[in-house]
Amino acid sequence: MPAPILQVRDLRTQFLTDGGVVTAVDGVSFDLFPGESLGIVGESGSGKSVTALSLLRLVPDPGRVVGGKVLFRNQDLLQLSDDEIRQIRGRDIAMIFQDPQSSLNPVLTTGFQIAEAMQAHGKAKAEANARTVELLKRVRIPAAESRVKDFPHQLSGGMRQRAMIAMGLANAPSILIADEPTTALDVTVQAQILELLGDLNRELGAAIVMITHNMGVVAGLCSRVIVMYAGHIVEEGPVEEIFERPQHPYTWSLLRSIPRVDALRHERLRSIEGIAPDLLRPPSGCRFHPRCPFRIERCFTDEPTLEEVATNQRAACWVTMERARREMHADDLLDIRPGAGSGVHPGEQI
Amino acid sequence: MATAAAVVAREIPSPEQASLWSDAWRRLRRNRMALISTIYLVLLVLVALLAIFYTPYRMSAVGIAPTYSGPSQAHLLGADGVGRDVLSRLMIGAQISLIVGVGTQLLVVVVGVTVGLLAGYYRGWLDSVVTFIINVFYGIPDLLVALILVFLLGPSLTNIIIAIVVTRWMDMARMVRGQTLSMREREFIEAARASGAKPVKILFGHILPNALGPIIVQATFGVPAAILFEAFLSFLGVGIQPPTPSWGSMAADGIAALRIAPHIVLAPSIALSITLMAFNFLGDGLRDALDPRSRR
Repeated sequence: MPAPILQVRDLRTQFLTDGGVVTAVDGVSFDLFPGESLGIVGESGSGKSVTALSLLRLVPDPGRVVGGKVLFRNQDLLQLSDDEIRQIRGRDIAMIFQDPQSSLNPVLTTGFQIAEAMQAHGKAKAEANARTVELLKRVRIPAAESRVKDFPHQLSGGMRQRAMIAMGLANAPSILIADEPTTALDVTVQAQILELLGDLNRELGAAIVMITHNMGVVAGLCSRVIVMYAGHIVEEGPVEEIFERPQHPYTWSLLRSIPRVDALRHERLRSIEGIAPDLLRPPSGCRFHPRCPFRIERCFTDEPTLEEVATNQRAACWVTMERARREMHADDLLDIRPGAGSGVHPGEQI
Repeated sequence: MATAAAVVAREIPSPEQASLWSDAWRRLRRNRMALISTIYLVLLVLVALLAIFYTPYRMSAVGIAPTYSGPSQAHLLGADGVGRDVLSRLMIGAQISLIVGVGTQLLVVVVGVTVGLLAGYYRGWLDSVVTFIINVFYGIPDLLVALILVFLLGPSLTNIIIAIVVTRWMDMARMVRGQTLSMREREFIEAARASGAKPVKILFGHILPNALGPIIVQATFGVPAAILFEAFLSFLGVGIQPPTPSWGSMAADGIAALRIAPHIVLAPSIALSITLMAFNFLGDGLRDALDPRSRR
């Protein structure tokens, strides 16, 4: 296995709110390898987006990265000066946001904004303009030459997101962070954007970090996945393993709650009992224990750490599904096995 | 979430897809009062430009007509107390008013926009200091500040402009600060930061263009206020110094003879009133035209 391009170690990000301190990202560690596509999934408030923003030090007020390391090319991004991190942003690590409607400046032309992303990193204006058309073609925007002069409101939602991707790719970054890039789009366009991202990942060799709450997106695009819950990583591993043999009850519940095309008619859609924890007062022990069907006494008091549960697969759980199946007859209890990859329909959301 | 219908609707290219500014111009033209005001102001500017090369008489030539004589064929607006041609002086006065009005607002825009952008974007102690200074300036009576400044610097045209800017920059700074505060949370600013744009670029390349509408409207409303303030200072005798006429000092000259020769006061007063109204109507029209919420 090649050396990781990005190493995140014990990342902690807090928000100082009126109600108290919310630790949105609490001791997150992971590696990103060159050219891979890594999915980070979790429900709203699990800390996945804040993790992504923390990497580039873009956490909005009143949030603050309070600890940990983000190692990129032997330097800790969290220790760089404002100007040094600015030069990393967009050039080495680019980011795509959720809503292309609001992430393009409404009063500037699309082409101007893409060219500007290159000029910010020292490309001459003429060169940047020439490359802009090339980039728009690359993300398959038809009539790219004339679209350059269009304002964002003159483009469709899908085209705007393509333009955003073009902007992200402008400086040929080695890492592309996509924060729910398909959430604001409708399903057919989602599929096109995912396909485009997959192609670009293969053609350009940029590593993609896909932040999403959509398991279908992960299945379609990613090779490895990190599952987050309440600011912690609860499970990580190769996509096939996670879909086939999830070891954390949360992952297992997530997969079980995806509607399935091949499900029997009378089957009801399952949801995860309870609500996401209040991070102002996180539960003791394992943060998932109030909602976990397989909790044991230890889960109430001790916080589990990520342990190797299979090759390349790690989970933070005292029980793990292996044992839940063996001793608690989890599958009998719940008659279907969680999504076996193929049954997951892209676009269906958790 | 964009619905499929909305996406399809946007994808149909409309042939007359107007840009922001041509759209605004179209809407401004539909506003009758704003259009009339624009025409009047264009004429006023032409008159002021004409006055550089030509006035019916020299504006400082004394005794070319009987003192206090009313309007006649030779002197369309009559003559003042020392026999100077009122029309010629009114034309030069238009120059002064426009220079003061537009000049102060240009400076106000430069100062207010810079201060407002920086305070709104960086917040923290800088914002606290700026807000405090703004409040202090609001607290001091502007006439007092202007009088002291003119006495200290001397009553030249430039100094009067500086004095007015010092007393009138706060509205612009506060408005731009507010715009920046709300704008900096918008996603496209975050996206610009994520793409490695320099802070200067974000401020002047992304936030400023979005705030341009309100800035133009505010500046347009600021012009008549500045003109009025200059006229007021000149009326008090601390403004433009003789023999250069200002609408304010012309009115002051005529006030003693109001009973026997009202035209000396009326001519500059009416010119001033119409000009102030025109700028206000134009500002109103611009506000409607540039406000995307009032899009019709």
